[in-house]
Amino acid sequence: MAAAEGPVLLFPSTSSTSARVEAVVVFNICDSYVRRPDQAERVIGTLLGSVLPDGTVHVRNSYVVPHNESPDQVALDIEYHHNMYASHHKVNPKEVIVGWFSTGFGVSGGSTLIHDFYSREVQSPIHLTVDTGFTRGDASIKAYISSNLSLGDRHLAAQFQEIPLDLRMLEAGKVGFDILKSTIVEKLPNDLEGMESSMEKLYVLIDEIYKYVDDVVEGRVAPDNKIGRFISDAVASMPKLSPAAFDKLFNDRIQDNLALVYLSSITRTQISIAEKLNTAAQIL
Amino acid sequence: MATIVNTTEEEPMLAVVRFTAELAWADAGADVAEPEVTRLCVEAQQHILAARWLDMASLMLASADLLLQSTRLPDKDKDLECILAIICNLVTKARSQDEALQIAELICAKLTHQPQDKPALRLKVLFSLYNLLGSPYAKAFVYKKALDLAAAGKAADCIIPTFKNIDSFISDWGIGKVEQRDLFLAAARILKDQKGMNKEYFNFLNKYLATFDGSADDADAIGDAKEEAVAAIIEFVKSSDLYQCDLLNMPAVAQLEKDEKYQLVYELLKIFLTQRLDSYLEFQSANSALLKGYGLVHEDCITKMRLMSLLDLSSRCAGEIPYHAIIDALKINDDEVEYWIVKAISCKILDCKVDQLNQVIIVSRHTERIFGMPQWQSLRSKLGVWRGNIASAINTIQANKVTDDGSQGIQGLMIR
Repeated sequence: MAAAEGPVLLFPSTSSTSARVEAVVVFNICDSYVRRPDQAERVIGTLLGSVLPDGTVHVRNSYVVPHNESPDQVALDIEYHHNMYASHHKVNPKEVIVGWFSTGFGVSGGSTLIHDFYSREVQSPIHLTVDTGFTRGDASIKAYISSNLSLGDRHLAAQFQEIPLDLRMLEAGKVGFDILKSTIVEKLPNDLEGMESSMEKLYVLIDEIYKYVDDVVEGRVAPDNKIGRFISDAVASMPKLSPAAFDKLFNDRIQDNLALVYLSSITRTQISIAEKLNTAAQIL
Repeated sequence: MATIVNTTEEEPMLAVVRFTAELAWADAGADVAEPEVTRLCVEAQQHILAARWLDMASLMLASADLLLQSTRLPDKDKDLECILAIICNLVTKARSQDEALQIAELICAKLTHQPQDKPALRLKVLFSLYNLLGSPYAKAFVYKKALDLAAAGKAADCIIPTFKNIDSFISDWGIGKVEQRDLFLAAARILKDQKGMNKEYFNFLNKYLATFDGSADDADAIGDAKEEAVAAIIEFVKSSDLYQCDLLNMPAVAQLEKDEKYQLVYELLKIFLTQRLDSYLEFQSANSALLKGYGLVHEDCITKMRLMSLLDLSSRCAGEIPYHAIIDALKINDDEVEYWIVKAISCKILDCKVDQLNQVIIVSRHTERIFGMPQWQSLRSKLGVWRGNIASAINTIQANKVTDDGSQGIQGLMIR
């Protein structure tokens, strides 16, 4: 019987309380899975990052470590792992080993052996799993920490405990991601097109909120004051502008933008003419 | 959520049975102990082969009391945690959610039996059990047991950090209103005795009181919430960083209005949420003993009421408050106006600019003490304006859209 999805219950003394993973790490893992050797069922590798003062493990980078796996043993290319780490460490000394990743759903039998190896590299490493097989219909991404269950001096089992995982993308990363996620990009949007798409998204969001508030006022939906206060604070943080003032302000900004577009296109035309004249002069 | 992976040739469950059996029969001598240990191991093996996990749990838990009291274990806590974790892992092997729940009930009964003895260890095992379970109902059951254990075993420190996720737990479990009510009340009672947890205590009282929606189903139970309603009001009045709440709208609090014993407490809440300083001063002069009885300090109440009065002014004046209005409402001297404005800003209940020349305060944002229908209507009109602004901006962009081609660069410059 598989455990259901849902928030985990963490005991306060747990060393790593949570993990934060940058989008580039997930991208790296998926990319390495697509490029894996034919016979390999999964890919594993090292996670690099840092441990924040509150115990959160911030994963910022990763690299694949070649390995061979059979039901009873796992062979890791340790030399490759150390060379890669040394190279990464030269470029970014602040990024240290914080754990390891594996593709596939949940924790498998061989995971304890690999985790033992990483436990010798770093104290209490985290284990990140990315379900590239979409076992449950989505790419389930989970982080675990492990503790040994010993009876006397006998090591009986390893307990992998899930920890909360934060996968939020930074605003700056989102801009690039929105362009990259579409399969074909004919050209990058210019300032005006970018502004238009942002405004359209904003309009959809405000319209959705407006409809909810309207439903509350008209008695179609029961009011949730927590949501009301939240929206109210968000609206209050915006400057008070009359529609006419906003219109003028925005229009001035657009005109400035268009003036820049015009000047840059004149410059481009000028350079193009100069190049052609230069070529003609050389021919003559 | 949690996974236990074997790292030995021997099945960990059998290793645990053997270990506990040897410990139980250690005093009996080798000739008596050996057959008994073998018998228990054979019995365990039969349970495993027949997949009788409930029987296996009963067999393994039978020796748990002995382990909890044993002085022979060199590293007792570590061994005990290992044994209990492996017993908990039986829930993942169960053939149905009902069987898993029965195993969980057995484990919980054993762990909550003597809550004063090693409560932190017992809670840690209950947390592991929770993470191994699949059924939302079973999870809710285990969490409730953990709450009871933390309260009885005075191990609140271990359970309080989980309270910040209580809303996501509840949506995951899908439990009903009555179960939620019990949960919030248990959490509030744990927080009540904790130092520096007043805000969290108030939040849980608030959650508890919000479960009474005034329906006929609540008619019997709502009377039991009076004490908590009073506690919530007093916490709100006492708190120096709470300036808004929805207690007035709650049926569990509204019932106090007609209650002889607590009518004045309800009146006090009404003053703090809907009236100004002068109303409070009148109330205080008539009921000073009541305020003292609830541990309310008059000076602190005046400070809070002045800030509340300032919020009331902000909501009534259209963005500008003259100095003289503040002086009248807050009953202060001319030179104290700016002190109270700065205090309100530092409490994050007001955003404003001070126009010293014209003796006015220009308010850009204020906290609403209560959030009723007038506030929703105001919000709708503000959102309507912004929706119009954004639509107008999109039209402007579309009208001015140009290609990167230089020949069309000037197009649209003269629009509007």
